[in-house]
Amino acid sequence: MKIRTLIVSAAACAMILPLAVAKAGSLENLERERAMLMQAMLSADLSPKERQGKVTLSRNRLIDLERMVLRDKKLVGHNTPAVRAAFENYDLTFLVHAAVERDRALLDHWMHQVGVSTQSLMNARMGRR
Amino acid sequence: MTRQHILIPSKAALCALTAAWGLGLAGPALAATEAAPNWAPASSERLIKLPGSYLKKAVDRDFAKSGLAQALQEAETALRLKHQSLQDIQEAMERADGQVRVDLRHRFLAEKRAYLDLVARQQQLRRKRARTKIRLYERLMRKLGFKRSAMTPQKVALVQKQQAALQRLNATSTRVDTKLFRSSMGKESKYAAAYAVNLAAIERLNAAIKAHPMNDEAKFDTAGMTKEDHLRGLVAAAEAELANLDQEAGILGLMAKLVSLDALALSDDVAGDNAEGDEDGAPNQGLTRAVDLFVTR
Repeated sequence: MKIRTLIVSAAACAMILPLAVAKAGSLENLERERAMLMQAMLSADLSPKERQGKVTLSRNRLIDLERMVLRDKKLVGHNTPAVRAAFENYDLTFLVHAAVERDRALLDHWMHQVGVSTQSLMNARMGRR
Repeated sequence: MTRQHILIPSKAALCALTAAWGLGLAGPALAATEAAPNWAPASSERLIKLPGSYLKKAVDRDFAKSGLAQALQEAETALRLKHQSLQDIQEAMERADGQVRVDLRHRFLAEKRAYLDLVARQQQLRRKRARTKIRLYERLMRKLGFKRSAMTPQKVALVQKQQAALQRLNATSTRVDTKLFRSSMGKESKYAAAYAVNLAAIERLNAAIKAHPMNDEAKFDTAGMTKEDHLRGLVAAAEAELANLDQEAGILGLMAKLVSLDALALSDDVAGDNAEGDEDGAPNQGLTRAVDLFVTR
């Protein structure tokens, strides 16, 4: 239950983040697409085929968007909370490139970054709050 | 008799000429304020971004287009011509005798005075150019300093993270392309294709810029000179010009004094009907070389 709450709240954060970076341009698009990717990966309403299609589409878009953000000269030294937060954790912001770099599946990499591992899942217990 | 009245000034007239000389020194300053040729270079962002050597060239080009440059060029031409006419009169004086010689001495004095006026005017313009340059370079240095100080530690940390992130991207982008586009949709995006084409064009242009003979950016890098160092050098050069001008102003003062004394001597000679002099000198160029024209009567 705890894990599920954690995943849902992280996905919600990923979706809310674009609101805070409304003026960041390329970064805003990246955050929006990443939130959609997370939604597709975590949504229980999608069939495996639908999920695969959406994830592939978002992932391919994210490859370009991540490169656009990293090459965007307007963001260099643009000292705003959104930009600072984006570059604070490369592995979470540039999810697709970081996942390939670490040789992990996208979801595995993201879970690893938010602190969810096989070990922590095995240790989790069902209980009332 | 009439001719004598016109050509040979009386003692009183010569004294008046001598007295007027003092006022004459203030003349160029007044004339300059009337004409007021100007040069107002802007310390633009473009100048700050230019490499050190280009900066000086850009400033010189900007100056060449200004009214001050035109006035300075005109003053230099006028000085050259005046120097030539002084030499001509001096040579004529050597050959002349009697009344003609007195006439020429008078004209020589008047020309010397005109020459000093022109020198004072030229010095004033050069001083203005040097001061404007100093002001410009100091403004540029301030802007450069401001840009540096505008980098807070937080911003510096952010830029470092951004650079590190870009390095990570560059290290993995090929791997990402190979791994993800090999299967699935398999096709490169429009952005990736356009980016690759543009990058190739940028690299070619950069190579051409690097190989260009006018590009001496690398020379400055190897010499270890920063843009601030270069600006400081330019300020020092302009300050040196000002110092030289101060010294030349001293020379000008001494020349003026000699002209005054010459005028007094001529006035005495005319009054005592004893016009004689030992004019000689070599034709020279420049203010210090013109000294010969002033130390002789």
